[in-house]
Amino acid sequence: MTGQQPRPMIEIEGLHKYFGPLHVLRGIDLSVAAGEVVCIIGPSGSGKSTLLRCINHLEIAQQGRIRIAGEIAYRDEVGGVFRAHSNRAVAAVRAQVGMVFQHFNLFPHLTIIGNVMEAPVHVLRRPKAEAMRRGMELLTQVGLADKADNYPEELSGGQQQRAAIARALAMDPKAMMFDEATSALDPELIAEVLAVMRDLADRGMTMLVVTHEMNFARQVASRVIFMDHGSIVEQGDPAAIFADPREARTRDFLRTVLER
Amino acid sequence: MIELFNADVAVENLGPLLAGLLLTVELTLVVMVLSLGFALLVALAGMSRFASLRWVIKAYVEVMRGTPLLLQLVYMYYVLPEFGIRLPAFVAGCLALTLNYGAYISEVYRGGIQAIGAGQHDAAAALGMTRGLAMRRIVLPQAIRIILPTLGNYFIGLFKDTALCSAVSIQEVLFTAQIIAANNYQYFTLYTVVGAMYFAVSFPAARLVGYLERVTRGGYRSRHP
Repeated sequence: MTGQQPRPMIEIEGLHKYFGPLHVLRGIDLSVAAGEVVCIIGPSGSGKSTLLRCINHLEIAQQGRIRIAGEIAYRDEVGGVFRAHSNRAVAAVRAQVGMVFQHFNLFPHLTIIGNVMEAPVHVLRRPKAEAMRRGMELLTQVGLADKADNYPEELSGGQQQRAAIARALAMDPKAMMFDEATSALDPELIAEVLAVMRDLADRGMTMLVVTHEMNFARQVASRVIFMDHGSIVEQGDPAAIFADPREARTRDFLRTVLER
Repeated sequence: MIELFNADVAVENLGPLLAGLLLTVELTLVVMVLSLGFALLVALAGMSRFASLRWVIKAYVEVMRGTPLLLQLVYMYYVLPEFGIRLPAFVAGCLALTLNYGAYISEVYRGGIQAIGAGQHDAAAALGMTRGLAMRRIVLPQAIRIILPTLGNYFIGLFKDTALCSAVSIQEVLFTAQIIAANNYQYFTLYTVVGAMYFAVSFPAARLVGYLERVTRGGYRSRHP
């Protein structure tokens, strides 16, 4: 190793996203180091989810640059002209970043183990036996080994979300993104999903978490980012952000959500 | 008094009529297989990102839906030879039926594919699947399950529509009966037997489709709970 600082896992520079006339992301700069757990909080419509979806190219940003593990992702800019990467290159980058969705999005026609094995077998072309062994390991990690042969609709929301986390982990991602992973769950099911996420953070996974769970952000995040109106308003240590926010907008937001 | 059902006539012509029925079933099966594959290509082309291809597909589907199947059959068999394309009757029949049913079934596919939510596409993409892989492994298996009962009904319709092939001299069951009746004038007996034959196949097929409808409505469940 040289004395050089390793490149961040995710690097974003000057990201702008428009939905028609709506300016949803207004120049986002963000870098997430390996092993960091970054929680993004903010009011709905502030662009948090859109930011995650741009990082995975599920939405295409009009301006800005995204690097995943040091590599420029999705497109190159040569002399002010953008050249989109091939679909195959885009897919290869996506395969390195796990994504967990608000509504789980499990594949209903596959069993739980089938969901977990699908991408390792068909994208990474791993042997079935190996994908099965690793899949069962991950299902054990999220506490679902006994549900391997069930279909998603036979599971509770919390179980489905844990299965979705295992499915993303099966690709051995360099980083995991959580897009309001607990927002669609009944209150009594939220804790089991947060516990799995906390365990993942303890294992050193690089995580980018959009969440409304302030306690999770406070206890697990290495850094908290507050977004509003498509911009990063404030970021820092969770203790500092929650105890003593500098910006008035952050204070107002925290007051409303913590008073609940 | 006119004799109505003549059992002797029925029995003595059962052989040729069954041979005709066999051809009817053959036509149905061949067109089923061809149109299932062809319609999928049409459906995918109809959702292409190239506008010109989408327009061609749209025009084709509208022409097929806007003209009678009988005309399409006759066209294939009697008009194409004027352009030097002389097709055997069976081939012309299969081709016309496939082009016609392919148009309708492509719309069924399209509906099924579009019924699969954006979340499934997102999840597949986020796992690094290309569009083609996601279509093959995630979207189509779910879409086919949704459209299975509709497809079943189309194929029962196809089974009966093959009777139109009598117009292009394919000796399926109806044309066979017509030929026999032209000699012995036993219309009632012969056409009643033919009707009974069609019904004997379609009725169980319709029950099977009903069963498929119930199964697909039930969702996805483990067989060993």
